[in-house]
Formats: sequence, C-alpha cells, structure tokens
Amino acid sequence: MAELLFEIPGVESGRAFGLILILGIFILGIYYMRRGKLPYIRRVAAIDAISEAVGRSTEMGKPVLCSYGRGGFAYSVIAAMSILGHVAKTCAETDTRLLVPTGGSHTGYLTRELAIDIVKGQYTAAGKPEMFNEDDMPFLSGEQYSFTAGYVGMLVRDRPGAVIMTGGHSSEAMNIAEMSNLVGALTITSGTYVSNMAALACASDYIMLVDEQPAAGAYLSKDPEQLATIRVIDIYKVLSLLLIVVGLLVLNTTGNDFIRRLLAS
Amino acid sequence: MGKEGVNLLKLMATYDKRWGYLLLFILVLLPMIKPIGMPISVSELTKEYYEQLQTLEEGDIVLDSWSTEYSGYMELKPGMIATHKYFIKNGIKIFICLGHPEGLALVGALLEDELKGYMEAYDYTYGEDYIILGFALPNQAATLAMATDFQGSVKVDWKGDSIKGTFLDRVETGADIDMIADFTTAAGNPGLINHIVLTFGTPMIQNQIGVSLPGSYMNLDAGLITGLLASTRGGSELELLIKEPGPGLIAMDAFTLGHYLLIILIVIGNIGFFGWTKKVSEEMESTTIR
Amino acid sequence: MIGFVPYFIKVPQVNEFANTLTNISSVVGQFTIVIAIYSQYRRSLRFIRERRKGWVYNIYLLTFMSLMILIGFTWGEHNATYMWLVNSIVAPCSSVVYGILAFYMFSAGARAFRARSLKASLLIVAGVIVLLYQAPLTGSYIPGLSPYATFLTETVGMSLNRMFAIAIITGAIMLNVRMLTGRELAFLGFAREEES
Repeated sequence: MAELLFEIPGVESGRAFGLILILGIFILGIYYMRRGKLPYIRRVAAIDAISEAVGRSTEMGKPVLCSYGRGGFAYSVIAAMSILGHVAKTCAETDTRLLVPTGGSHTGYLTRELAIDIVKGQYTAAGKPEMFNEDDMPFLSGEQYSFTAGYVGMLVRDRPGAVIMTGGHSSEAMNIAEMSNLVGALTITSGTYVSNMAALACASDYIMLVDEQPAAGAYLSKDPEQLATIRVIDIYKVLSLLLIVVGLLVLNTTGNDFIRRLLAS
Repeated sequence: MGKEGVNLLKLMATYDKRWGYLLLFILVLLPMIKPIGMPISVSELTKEYYEQLQTLEEGDIVLDSWSTEYSGYMELKPGMIATHKYFIKNGIKIFICLGHPEGLALVGALLEDELKGYMEAYDYTYGEDYIILGFALPNQAATLAMATDFQGSVKVDWKGDSIKGTFLDRVETGADIDMIADFTTAAGNPGLINHIVLTFGTPMIQNQIGVSLPGSYMNLDAGLITGLLASTRGGSELELLIKEPGPGLIAMDAFTLGHYLLIILIVIGNIGFFGWTKKVSEEMESTTIR
Repeated sequence: MIGFVPYFIKVPQVNEFANTLTNISSVVGQFTIVIAIYSQYRRSLRFIRERRKGWVYNIYLLTFMSLMILIGFTWGEHNATYMWLVNSIVAPCSSVVYGILAFYMFSAGARAFRARSLKASLLIVAGVIVLLYQAPLTGSYIPGLSPYATFLTETVGMSLNRMFAIAIITGAIMLNVRMLTGRELAFLGFAREEES
C-alpha cells in the first residue's frame, strides 16, 4: 500500500481523499442544480438516429420497441426514462405503436410503474390517450435470462422496425441486439455496462457509449438535474485527466510520487 | 474474372449467417467428441492465480463465493473444478456462499456430480472440511454483516443445521478468513472487495467469465484482487498446472478452432466487401439520377 | 447517508444502525417478488381468457410457476422434486440462452469488422491480434504475439474501462445527490411533467 500524503482525524485511513472527492460531487452537483442557468451540452448524434428509427418504423408500418434496462433506479435507468419519454412522444405524434418490455430484475417492477406513467403521460399530452395500451408494456420476468427469452419472443412475433435499447442492460443486450438485427430492425443501444460494449458495438447500428446515453436523456428532457449530472461528470473526467498527466510528469521528471500518495490518502 | 468470379465474391459478401452458425457448431462439437490434443500455453495471469493458491496452507479457511447463475457455471466450470480440486487435495477448509438463487443447482452439479469421487478419495467431508451456507451473500448488506460479525449473522448452514462446533467457530470477522475465492459472472459481489478485502486486507482470487474480464482487469491492476482466472481458457490452464486434466482442456481445441473460424470469416467478409458490396454501391451511386 | 457515512467516518453507533437499516431494506426489497408474481398471474390469465397471440405459452408459464411455488413452499428447496425441476428445466434453459450468445457474438463480429475506413482497418488488425492471442494454440507457436495483445487489452483496453468507470460512478453518486436533495422523485413513482 502506498504511503499516505495526509490523514484527517476521525476519518478511516486511506479514505480521506475519496471523501473529499465525493463531497466535491455533492457541492458541484448542488451548485449546478440550483444555478438556474441550464448547463450547455451538445446534441448527441444518437438523438438523430432515434428520430430516424421511429420514422423508419412509421413508414414501414411496424412498431417501435424501446426498453430502459433491467436494473432498479440506477443512474442509467433514470436517464433511459427520458429517452423513453421522447420516443413515446414521437410515437404518439406519428401514430406508431410502441412496445416497452419491462422486468429483468426484481426491482424491475418498481421502474415499470414509472415507465407506464411516462408513456401514458406522453400519449395524453399528444391528445391520444386511447393509443396507450398497458399490454404493450409487459412485465416479462424478474430473472435476467427469462426476461431475455421473453424479449426475443417479442422481437420475433412483433417484428419491430426499430429497437431502442438504452439504460441498464448487461449480457442479455448482446442476445437482443443480434436478434433485432436478424428480424431486420434498426438497432440503437447504449453501453452502460463496460464489459459488453465491444460486443454491442458490433451488433448495433448505432451505439451510445457510456455517458452519451445520459447526455442524450438530459438533452431531450432539458431536466436541470440531469444536465447538472452531465456537467459534474465532465468536470471529474477533466480532473482525472489532469491528475494522471500531472502525476506522470512529476513522477518521470522529479521522481516524486506526490499524486500517488494523494490518491492513496 | 468472368461471371463465376463475380458470383464467388457476391457469395462472400452475402452468405447466409446460418452457414456460419452451422460451421461453428460443427467445429465446436467435433473436437469435443474426438479431442485433437492441440498444445496450449499457460498465460502469466493463470500462473499468478496458481501462485496465490499456493500461498494457502492446510487448514486455512477460504470464503468460497459462487456469484454465478447456472449459465455462467458452464463457462466457469473448468476453473471451479480445478480450484476446488486444489482445495480438496491440500486440505483447505472452505465455506460456500451462494450469491444467486440458481446457485442451488450448482451445489449438485459441482459437488455431487463432478467432485464426489475426488472428495471421497481425499476424505474431504461435510462439516469438517467444507460447509455450504446457502444463499448467504445476496447483497452488500449481508456481506457487511458477515464481515463484521460472522458468528452473529451466520448460525446455520443451508439445511438449517447449526454450524457450531465446526471450523467456522474460528471465524469472528473478515480478518479470520485467509482468502476469498470468488466465482462470478458480472461485477461479482462488490461487497467482498468493499467490506472484506479493503477493510481486512484479505487476499481475493477471482474466476471471471470472458465478457466481464475487462472490469476485473482493473481490480487486478489496482491490487484489489490478487489472482484472476480468465474464463474457460484460464480454467484449462489451471488444470494443466495442477496436473488434473478436465473439461477445460477438452474444450480448448474447440476454443481454438472457433477463434480461427471467426478470423477466416472476417477475412472472407472483407474480400466480399471490397470485391462486391463496395463495387455495387459505387455503381449505384454513379447511375443514380440526380 | 446512514449507510454512506460509516464507510468514511468512524462512528460505531451509526455503524450498527446502518447494518440494521441495510438488513431491513434487503428484506423489504424481496417483497417486490410478490408483486411481480401477482402481476404475472394477472396478465397471463387475461391473455388466456382473451385468447391473445401466444396464449398457450401463458398456460405453460403459469403451470410451471405454480408448480415450483407450491413444491418450494410445501417441501422446501432441498426437496428432490424441486431440485429436479431446477436441474432439469431452469438450469438448462438458462444455459441455452447464455450459450446462444456465442453464436450471436460470432455473427456480429463477422458482420461488423469491415475495413470501411482507416480507423475500421486499425480496429480489425487489433481485433485479429487479440483473437489470435486468445486462441491457445497460437499462444504456443507464436509467443511474439503476446506483448502486442497484452498491450492492447491491458494498456489500451483497461485505460478506457477506467475512464468509463469514472463516468459511471460519478453519475451514480450524482443520482444519489439528486435523491438526497429531493430533486429526483422518480424512485417514489413521480414522473417529471413535461415543460412545453
């Protein structure tokens, strides 16, 4: 274990810097959320792909299949709900059927209720509440591979024109992406699970890497909280980069492992 | 190149992928029925894992975490069998904690089907050498409870029998565990790292599936885990190191052939792409009426 | 906060309370299974009654779901019949869906790796190097491949994974900040209203 640069009395050894970093997230997050002026983020390319996908499905007379992940209330699932809202709005405006498979974990039932509210709300806002059909949002299963089997069944039976799979999907995403390719659907996925990103990049027509999906969700919803999240993530990425570059330079020029000791503190 | 040549390129560009599936199926099935016996090398990663195993002494207590469903077990099987054979042969005490409800099926599959004869040969008995605690690590909260107050949080095994009077009497907190062996499919149980490894400095080795390896490499590099066994291939290498051939080594021929088939199809696909698809799309662009 | 504070600051009394709280939350969380089972029964029975497309599968689903719940609750999960159902139906089905992944990755890889541009070509070269290294036979006969493949997976790949992890973890902490400050009510079931 590296030597510590500093310790704070009362704080567990080796966790002080981590505590400072987390407090930094708290402070920056609250600042950006309360600022009033919305942080700027650029339009993510995948948003155009989503519009293209829904348009394609409308022209072909096929439904759109959009899922938000199988975890509980995780960061990526909340962001995926914004994308679901946008897709629901577009489908409502273009009279396209929207299918939303839900489940995949035991907490999936809780997120399902929110998803139903969002989709129903969008149909009502578009003046077409009769278009909403809860049976198009089935709870497939609380287990990962049972959910996958149900999802694939929906793909094969309903043959959607577009599959938009965002949020917290893990290894089943590969199964689903390749099957959606087999049924001829335009596949848009997001890789929030680090391990299957490479495989998804091969199988999908469009992929949103890591925080492109929350950025897309934030851009579409214009939600100050989500925009603040993206801004804080960017700040911390720059901070990490600075620590790495400065640490490497200092270590290689002076032999001082100051940054390493700081990070170990 | 006449019509025949053009058709070959078109075939290379537009072949039905189901032929690829069939080829892969045949290339995987045949070597498993009749092994070819291709040589394999042992990677540095597996050597490090084996060195970690060798630090254990007879009587040491290992937390054996099975955080995998039955599907993941198929990939982790060679590594699990080889690691447990090492534990059995060297008299290492293990307590098995399942991190997934499907783990119940693993108990029968691994202990009763694969290792029963081996355990009998080394007189490795339930209660004295190994205990199954059942679905004891469903989440971080349970791991934290076990790490801070083992005797308070764990009183019975998976069948409801008391664990008093067994080797687990020696375990009060995570500090009394000599090693963690984690067999996992996804991010695993982060509680093991957060509440035992980081808190007590307990060494942890992990057998991980192929798709989740990138995440585990980070933990290995950071020193959070001290040994990593990579999927079926790592399991087969470990079988070679401990001189106990098993399902991993049998699978390596199929493994090799499958990889080579993919490379061949990538090359074929690119030949087809340049020879047919690109030419067709260029011709279509040049003849498009604007 | 009670779960988060003890990790950093030594407060034994809070530690104990945090343990109790997390135990309570994990027990409560399991009750979502009950809701899920109810929802599945309701939906499946409606599908069967209305003879919707694929209604026969719902009979199959309900039959086996009921059977496993009945046997599990009556005779326990160590009962031979229950274990037989798990070993003969649940385990193989789970393995098959996972096993199909191999074919899907295979076809996705064979389809996706096209040298459309310089970047794509470099990606193919890197991919082929790693694939050759992963094949055990090549590792024996071409040991010179190892440093390149190791560089790609451990230096390039790992650094990218670390950056992804930083982004994901920061986002997760921010979500908790939003929940703690009351700016995120989605977990309570309140969807944000669209602002026109």
